[in-house]
Amino acid sequence: MQAFKLAMRIINKNKAQMLIYVVIFFAISAIMSSYSSRESKSYTSFTPAKTTIAFISEEDTPLIDGFKKELARVADFANIPDETEALQDALYFRQVSCVLRIPKGFTEKFMNGENVQIERMSIPNSMRNVHVELCIDKYFNTAALYVRSIDGISQQELVRYLEKDLSETASVEIAAADTESPGMIDTNYFFNYFAYPLLSVIILGMSALMLVLNDPDLKMRNNCAPVKSTSISMQFILAGLVFTVLSWLLIVILHFAVNFRDGFGPKTLLLLSSSFIFAICCLSISFLAGTLVKSRDAIHAAANVLSLGMSFISGVFVPQELLGSHVLKIASFTPVYWYVRANNTIAGLNAFTPDTLKPVINDFLIIIGFGTAFFSVSLALRKQKTS
Amino acid sequence: MFTHIFSYRLKCLLRNYENIFWMLIFPLILATLFYMAFSNLNSAEAFSIIDIAVVDSEQYRQDGNFRAALEKVSTGDGRLFNVSVVSIEEADKMLKNNQIDGYIVVDRQIKMVVSKTGFRQTIIKTFIDNYMHTFSAVSTVMSQAPDKIQQLLETIENRVNYVREVSTTSADPNNVHLYFYSLIAMACFYGCFSGMREVSDIQADLSPLAARLNTAPVYKLKAFLYNSFASVVVHFAELLILIAYVIFVLDVDFGSKIAHVIFTTLIGSITGFSFGAFVSAVIRKSEGFKTAVMISTIMVCCFFAGMMFQDMKYIIAVNVPLLSYLNPLNLLTDAFYSLYYYDTFTRYYTNIAVLLAFTAVFFTGTYLVIRRKKYASL
Repeated sequence: MQAFKLAMRIINKNKAQMLIYVVIFFAISAIMSSYSSRESKSYTSFTPAKTTIAFISEEDTPLIDGFKKELARVADFANIPDETEALQDALYFRQVSCVLRIPKGFTEKFMNGENVQIERMSIPNSMRNVHVELCIDKYFNTAALYVRSIDGISQQELVRYLEKDLSETASVEIAAADTESPGMIDTNYFFNYFAYPLLSVIILGMSALMLVLNDPDLKMRNNCAPVKSTSISMQFILAGLVFTVLSWLLIVILHFAVNFRDGFGPKTLLLLSSSFIFAICCLSISFLAGTLVKSRDAIHAAANVLSLGMSFISGVFVPQELLGSHVLKIASFTPVYWYVRANNTIAGLNAFTPDTLKPVINDFLIIIGFGTAFFSVSLALRKQKTS
Repeated sequence: MFTHIFSYRLKCLLRNYENIFWMLIFPLILATLFYMAFSNLNSAEAFSIIDIAVVDSEQYRQDGNFRAALEKVSTGDGRLFNVSVVSIEEADKMLKNNQIDGYIVVDRQIKMVVSKTGFRQTIIKTFIDNYMHTFSAVSTVMSQAPDKIQQLLETIENRVNYVREVSTTSADPNNVHLYFYSLIAMACFYGCFSGMREVSDIQADLSPLAARLNTAPVYKLKAFLYNSFASVVVHFAELLILIAYVIFVLDVDFGSKIAHVIFTTLIGSITGFSFGAFVSAVIRKSEGFKTAVMISTIMVCCFFAGMMFQDMKYIIAVNVPLLSYLNPLNLLTDAFYSLYYYDTFTRYYTNIAVLLAFTAVFFTGTYLVIRRKKYASL
């Protein structure tokens, strides 16, 4: 098993550069895990969606107080200083969806039946702002009914009437919805994200190994050794498999170390198998990359471009729903796309019957197909090189 | 002498394909990937007309007021809803197939059925609430002032819009651009590879080439400056190609102050170069180690400048403002951002001033390390 041992030693020598990707993965997992645990999703009762806004009032009147209280039902107020740059920054970074400013004299003019308007700075065409605007119009249009019809109504009276009117709300029924166990969305996200470190690590490791083995002098030396060349090849393939399984195992263990709360169910098992199949596919991608690269510097370039490129367009960093259809079409020529698609389908499964599992199995088969294709191409290339 | 050193250095640099890959091709690829991945990023928050259904019941047909209210918000260009009137079974089916976001049942009370919680569903609910509130207000007013029915009807008829959009800046708050700004900042700092090379090629203990150069009758600082000038020229040209690609091909908006954008890029290129020179001069280890230090510094700085997670830039700026001034990548990103987003120049010039201070520190440090070096043996 000399060849196997040699392969392991070469990989071991290069572990530092591979560990960088594992560390990045671990750090991002930890950050995302602490970030997402704050959001819990409930599907059993209807909770109106809320947005965060900045509310600045240049006057303090009972009407505005009443309005702000009502607005608090649909929006949280962010505490942002009334400075142009601070407000602009908050809008740009989506800390608030809009900035509302009640101009001085608003209440007085409103009570006199004049036309007045609240000033708003907002993100254009945002769903959240459509809702906020609807609520503002609702409040003041209802208030206008009283102001125009009851002469001399005081602000306090008006607010009292409005409070009573606005307390009525429509009843909402939640139809039998998809029951998605909480945490599943996160697990799905992490498994999608696996694609990036797995690809990077396996390409880096395998290419480093193959670069050494493709060295002409070394090859000639190996050829005159009293060991069958098939045996050497098999030992290297075995080393590649062991390395792939170990990398996969390391990433899986790190994932569970951070996300141990998510539990373990049939879906996790399916996600694990999908990531395992993908890891094997990565091995054959790296085999091809290793056949093609000629220098140590090119390994980094190839690893970066391949892993980042496929991850970006296939929905590893940005969910597939948010990618354009033409981008997804291009992505469907890479195995990462099918891996992410399989994961998303698994996360959405409600039952585990042959029928529901069929699309998942199909995606698995496509990933295996890609793996076989890459492997065959690299074998053909090697054959051509040696002849 | 200048032309000689400069032109040969230029040739060397243009034939160093690895450097060209990392400093030009890689940022171009990354920009293309950003474009492919992020161009639809805001589509989830954008408003699109909400599809709803109303169950075709006896009560709905009789309730003229509700029908009129619904018609008002479902006609015209600025409408909220696309309404289809269907049977309850059909409505259930449509909801299940995600063809509608929810449906309304008009019974003695108005009820809404949805399959999940979200803004689209909340907007439907707010519409129904609004109808109920108006109804409640009308009955209260009628009990208080029955003679005012005419005004009441007029007011209901002429609903007014109480919101006026004001804008303090001409730029659209499109946060996707920021990814490209930080990418260009990163590309500027990739100039550090040239900086490292120039220092290695002038320090006789770091490369054989430098050892040969040191025996030549050329003032060392001059040779270093001429070489550096060639490096910065090549890097700056690469950055200009990148910016042209991002602006003209990927259609990313940098605002109207293009001359400032180019100036910022030049400053960025020089700062990046000086950073590499400084690291290379101060750290006396292998090139691989120096590269690792530079790459990891750049990546950490990029992270805090919001390249991987945009909110990070804001979180740092609000909570630890000092840190955002100590991060040169953030200063560069912020300079592009303020050129695009603000009408004033205060923040832009502050960023540039701090960047220049960084450059001065890096160059002085490098100078102090590499000057007057004599070698007893090599």
